[in-house]
Amino acid sequence: MKYRTKCPCSFLALSLVLAMVLSLCTACGRRADDDFRAQIHFCGSTSLASVIASIGASFQETYGTWDKVDSRFPARPIDIAVTSGGSGDGPSSVADGTADFGMLARDIKDRERASLGEGYHDYPVAYDALTISVNRANPVVGKLDQLSTDTIRRIFSGQLTYWDELDASLEHKEIVLVIRDLSGGAAEVFEQHVMQGTPISANAIQSPSMGALAAKIAENPYAIGYAGYGVYQMNQADLFAFSVDGAAPTEENILNGSYPIQRPVHFVTNRPLSDAEQAFVDYIFSEHGRTIVRENGYIPAY
Amino acid sequence: MTTVKDALWRWLLTAGALLSVGLLLFLVVFMVNQSLPALRAIGLEKLLLGTEWRPVIYDEAPQYGLFPMLLSTVYVSALAVLFSLVLGVGCALFLACAVGDRLRAFLIPSIDLLAGIPSVVYGFVGLYVVVRTMERMGRAAGESILAGSIVLAVMILPYMISTCLHTMVQLRHGWQDASDALGVSRWYMAAELVLPASKKGILVGTALAAGRAMGETMAVMMVMGNAVLRPTLLGKGETISALIALEMGTAEVGSLHFSALYAAGLCLLVLLLMINLAFSLLRRKLDREGVL
Repeated sequence: MKYRTKCPCSFLALSLVLAMVLSLCTACGRRADDDFRAQIHFCGSTSLASVIASIGASFQETYGTWDKVDSRFPARPIDIAVTSGGSGDGPSSVADGTADFGMLARDIKDRERASLGEGYHDYPVAYDALTISVNRANPVVGKLDQLSTDTIRRIFSGQLTYWDELDASLEHKEIVLVIRDLSGGAAEVFEQHVMQGTPISANAIQSPSMGALAAKIAENPYAIGYAGYGVYQMNQADLFAFSVDGAAPTEENILNGSYPIQRPVHFVTNRPLSDAEQAFVDYIFSEHGRTIVRENGYIPAY
Repeated sequence: MTTVKDALWRWLLTAGALLSVGLLLFLVVFMVNQSLPALRAIGLEKLLLGTEWRPVIYDEAPQYGLFPMLLSTVYVSALAVLFSLVLGVGCALFLACAVGDRLRAFLIPSIDLLAGIPSVVYGFVGLYVVVRTMERMGRAAGESILAGSIVLAVMILPYMISTCLHTMVQLRHGWQDASDALGVSRWYMAAELVLPASKKGILVGTALAAGRAMGETMAVMMVMGNAVLRPTLLGKGETISALIALEMGTAEVGSLHFSALYAAGLCLLVLLLMINLAFSLLRRKLDREGVL
C-alpha cells in the first residue's frame, strides 16, 4: 500500500521538474530565435504618463497579443509600460537606454536634445494651456475681458489684494487666489510664462487637484485661479476665462501659439522605431488616440 | 493532540505579534532611511524651525522649513480636540445617565456610524457648509484653521463619545441603586458622581481623538486652504499630512524634495509618539496620586 502511494508522487514530482526544465529551454530558444520585444517602455512627465497609460490600456484591450496587431508579429502579450517621474526623467532615461520613449510636458532643452544624438525624433502629442479663470458672477466679468501677463503677475504675487485695485469701479473685496501645489506641472508652466521668478503670494489656496481648483472658483465669486484648459471647458457655465495679452484661450490660439500660458506635451526617441513601436505610435496618432487625448483635457496636436 | 494544537496556536500568535511589531519597526527604519538625505542636506534645526517652504524654485535655492506646518497641525488638532471634548463628554454623559436602555441601544450604533463615513465626504460637507457659511458671514475665503477644526471635531466625536460612554455606563450602573436608595436626583448623580469618576475614560478618549485628528488628511486638506502661513484662527493653514498628500505625487523620486516630504512624515510620527507618551505619563501620574 505504502509503496503504491509513493510511486505516483515521485512520478508527479519528476514530471513537474521535467516540465519546468523544458519550458525554460523553449523560453531560451525563443529569445535566441528573434529579437522581438513585446514591451514598450515610456518614461517621464506625469501629465503625459496618464494619457499614454490610457492609450496603452486601450491598445492592450483591443488587440491583447502582438499577432492581432500585425500577423508578422509573434503571439506574445502586448506590454506598454509607463513610468512617471517628471519631464526631466524623459530624455535622460532614453539617453541611458532604460526607456524607449521619453515623455516631456515642456520644451526640450538644447542640452537634452544633444544627449539624444543623431537619431533624435520628436512626436508632439498635445498642447496644454492654463486659463486665468474667475467666477461668472464676479462683477469683473463684463468690465474687463483681458489681462496682461504683467497684471496677472501682480495679482498672483499679492501686489494687488483687492478687486478695486484692479479696476476702480469694482467692489472693495479681497482677491482670493487659487493655485495648484507648487511642485506640479501646472505651477511650473505658470512660473515659466507668468511669474518668472516672482514668488506667488503665501496666502493663495492650494488645491489638491484641477477639479477642486475649478470647484473653488465656481463656488467663490471673488476667486481667481489658473484652471487647466480641460477643466475650464467642463465648467464653462460657471467659469469665465480672460484673454491674456490680447489672445483668448481658444483651441485655435493655443495651437498657433498666440495664447501665451501653454506648453507642448510630447515624447522623444533617439533611434528609428521598430515595427512594433511604429504600430503603437500609429495607434496613438489615430482618431482613437486623439479622442483619449481630448478626454484627458489636452488639445491634440494632430 | 491538544499539546500539539496548543503549541501550534502559540506559535501562530507569537508570529502574529512579532509581525506587527516588525512592521512598526520596518516603517520607522524605512522613514528614517528615506529622510536621511534631507536631514543631512537641510539640517534638523532648519527643517523644524524654518518658516519658508519653497520646494521648487527656478533661480534661487529651494527652502524646506516645516515650522508653519507643525504649528498648523498642532493648532487645528488641539482646537478640534477641545471642541469635541466639550461636545463629546456632554453627549456621553447624557447618553449614560438620561437615556433609557432601549433608546441608548439605538443611539450608540448611529454615533458609531459617524466613524465609518469616508473622510472625503466630511471634506465635501465641510467645503459646502462650513466654508461657505464663513464666506456668507463676510470672509473673502472661508478656508481657515477654524473651518478645519470644526470638521475635524465632528470626525473625532465618535471616538470621544464611545470611549467616554463605555466608562460612564459602567459607573452609572454601579451608582444607580445607591443613589435611588438615598433619593439623590439623576442630575446630581451625573454631575457629582459619574462625571468626576470617569476622568480616566475621558483622558483615554482625548488621547485617541488627538492621534486621530493629527493624522487626518483629506477632509482637512479640503477646507484649510493649504497656504504655508503662520496659523491664525481665521487664516489659512497647511497640516503636515496635507503637505505630504499634496506634493508626494509630483515630487521627483529620489530628489531632496522627496526626501524632505519623508522627513515631514517622520516629524509627524515623532510628534504623535510624544503626545501619546505625554498622555500615558499623565495617566500614570494621576493613577499614582489616586485621583482616578
